[in-house]
Amino acid sequence: MADEARAEDERSLTARAQAGDISAFEELVARHKDRVYGVALRIVRSEADAAEITQEAFLSAYQHLLELRGDAAFGTWVHRIAANLSVSRLRHLKVAGETETPLEEPEFTDHGLLAHYPQRDWSKGAEERALDNELRGAIRQAVDRLPSGYREVFLLKDVEGLSYEEIAEMTGDSVPAIKSRLHRARVALRAAIDRFYNES
Amino acid sequence: MFTCRDSIDLLQRFLDGEMPEEERHRLKEHLDACPPCVDFLRTYRATPGLCRKAMVDQMPRELSKQLTAFLRQRLRK
Repeated sequence: MADEARAEDERSLTARAQAGDISAFEELVARHKDRVYGVALRIVRSEADAAEITQEAFLSAYQHLLELRGDAAFGTWVHRIAANLSVSRLRHLKVAGETETPLEEPEFTDHGLLAHYPQRDWSKGAEERALDNELRGAIRQAVDRLPSGYREVFLLKDVEGLSYEEIAEMTGDSVPAIKSRLHRARVALRAAIDRFYNES
Repeated sequence: MFTCRDSIDLLQRFLDGEMPEEERHRLKEHLDACPPCVDFLRTYRATPGLCRKAMVDQMPRELSKQLTAFLRQRLRK
């Protein structure tokens, strides 16, 4: 289905759900559950917590369905709810205690030059290339290893596509702090992918 | 003249288009003379896209069934 037709179909389902058609809401759940579960899982890193967050997100969406107005997309809205719940859950989990590995940073010489040059430019065609399971696993491990504050910002911005301002509102952190963490997370993930390409 | 460290620190602002012209010019000057930093920039820029692809998840069938049962019970109350 083309993007515009899909969006129109989703608006129609949302309108039916808002009018009380539960089967229309269930269809919306079926379409979005994987992504909602995915964002929760990547942020909280626990299947049980992610499943609970997914339930809470869709229940909350249903209870506030009439607040969704005009052309606002149900999918975007429910992903934001799930991201918000995940960030809150992560804050709670962090209070409970978590050990984090330090971030990987590039090494520089005393003169500020890169100490290790990239041996291979793997960026060509990266957008189009299908991921093999090994690379997928290496990336997922690298994301999981990020300290939680960095992982959360990276997932919200680069995977979920939230704006800096939306993330600031969600996390209570300043936009400059978010940008700084995002940059360092990208640098660490770039290093992990670089290592995969150059060592495998 | 910028160093590699300066350039890498500024990549995000460069890609976000938030860099003053003067700074942008100095960064480009460094990139013109530093192929390793160009490779770094290209791979840094490609990183989010690759990660997005790797982050696609499917809800396990059992959890999906639980979600359906949970919502059916709560929605039909």
